[in-house]
Amino acid sequence: MNERWTRALTAIAVFGVLILAWEYASTNGLLKPYKFPPPSKIARGFVELATKGFPKDLTLWVHVQTTVARILQGYVYALALAIPLGFLVGALPLLEKLTNPLIVFGRSIATLSLLPLVIVWFGTGELTKVILIGYGCFWTMISNVIAGVKYVDRTLIAAARTMGVSGLNLYWSVILPAALPRMFAGARMALGVGFMVIVGAEMIGTIEGLGALIMEARTFYRSDITIIGMLVIGVIGFLISSGLMRLERVLIPWDTGLQDVRR
Amino acid sequence: MSGRTSLSDILLGLVGTLIVLAVWEFAARGGFVDASIFPSPLLAFESAMQKLTTADVLSHIGWSLYRVVAGFLLGAACGIAVGIAAGWYRFANYILVPLIELLRPIPPLAWIPLAIIWFGLGEPSKFFIIFLGAFFPVVTATYRGVMSVDPMLIRAAQTHGLKGVRLLAQVAVPGAAPDLATGIRIGWGLSFGILVAAELIAADRGLGYMIMHARLLGNVDVIVVGIVLIGILNLATDALIAWGIGKWIGRWHAT
Repeated sequence: MNERWTRALTAIAVFGVLILAWEYASTNGLLKPYKFPPPSKIARGFVELATKGFPKDLTLWVHVQTTVARILQGYVYALALAIPLGFLVGALPLLEKLTNPLIVFGRSIATLSLLPLVIVWFGTGELTKVILIGYGCFWTMISNVIAGVKYVDRTLIAAARTMGVSGLNLYWSVILPAALPRMFAGARMALGVGFMVIVGAEMIGTIEGLGALIMEARTFYRSDITIIGMLVIGVIGFLISSGLMRLERVLIPWDTGLQDVRR
Repeated sequence: MSGRTSLSDILLGLVGTLIVLAVWEFAARGGFVDASIFPSPLLAFESAMQKLTTADVLSHIGWSLYRVVAGFLLGAACGIAVGIAAGWYRFANYILVPLIELLRPIPPLAWIPLAIIWFGLGEPSKFFIIFLGAFFPVVTATYRGVMSVDPMLIRAAQTHGLKGVRLLAQVAVPGAAPDLATGIRIGWGLSFGILVAAELIAADRGLGYMIMHARLLGNVDVIVVGIVLIGILNLATDALIAWGIGKWIGRWHAT
């Protein structure tokens, strides 16, 4: 407990000193205020963004909603496709061997490198962004589902077989629960990928969404708004990933953590 | 970890790839999909070769590789140094960890506007973003790795009289090597993805620029070839790094 307190207090002290030093340096001309807007200006920018919006009428809330909605759409489609497909491929060794290079290659393609192609096909609208997010999430998810199914402990399966479990029942009551921790880890990683992709995808062809917000703010020399946008993106990302981790612990209590799998 | 891949596995993989390529080729040639929008792999390659010169492509590849390698090396080196400090010295841990954990959830691409504000549109802003992409995975993997080194190992080394920097270099760092390796590979993948994005948004050369420019000219074939080229480059460099890491870590850990 004592250790925790020291840790928390040091963290607060570090942030406090940094913020004060930054404020002092940028208001006294040691740092250029345009490049390093003082924290007090960032705070005022936050109020402006939350009440009046930037660009006009697009408040922070609108940007957050737009971004989160885009991510979720692509993410849900990707998972809906990747989980059954991954299960199929993972369960059939022949199919797994046939598709292995394709899956490795699909994963290696930088998601944002598809941007020009997807723009040619679908224009610069919403669909393009959802497809890019979906693509990124899909490969991360499917490779984790396949790995989860493929690397189920052989002794578990043999044990279940000797107890007379077979066929679909084997999949349902042994392989699926054993693969779930890995699938959950994949789902968490996939969401991280989606988050990364959306910021890039929003920098082109839109003024709504957090990625667009930070890019627009730069064009209008509002570095304070850019920094707020970045922090909000970070906070949302953090909340989502820690929320998923908590959910994971509640839903699959038999998961001892991927630590054991990795080592 | 994935075990040995046998020759038959490789052959099966080749067969699967060929099947998909053949179906794609057939669909594009047979007119099931519009070939000018979704060109077949062979046609795309053929016509892209007429629009691109080898020298141009090599120069784009060179620029991309230069950016990603330089940014990555810098980021990984700083990540390892800061990570070791934060994992080994209690005082540094208290100060550095909150800062790292605050900035880590911000995706590196979200730094693009700020990087442009700080460094302008030129090369430094790209190096900075790629640097961040390598830095965060490496720094977290390193400090967690160093912190989770088996305390028994450290105590055993201490009873043998090892202490200070030598204890760190000879016991703690090798003990953290597997975590470090994971961090480095994740960092490389991330740096590569970021490179492409950075080149799409603001660059006048590099593979990302090549495909974005091809879009303006409506050359779908060049885009397809560019995407595949980026994918192959990513795959090849990742394999190279995995091989290097295997050689390095194999000295302490059976893989």
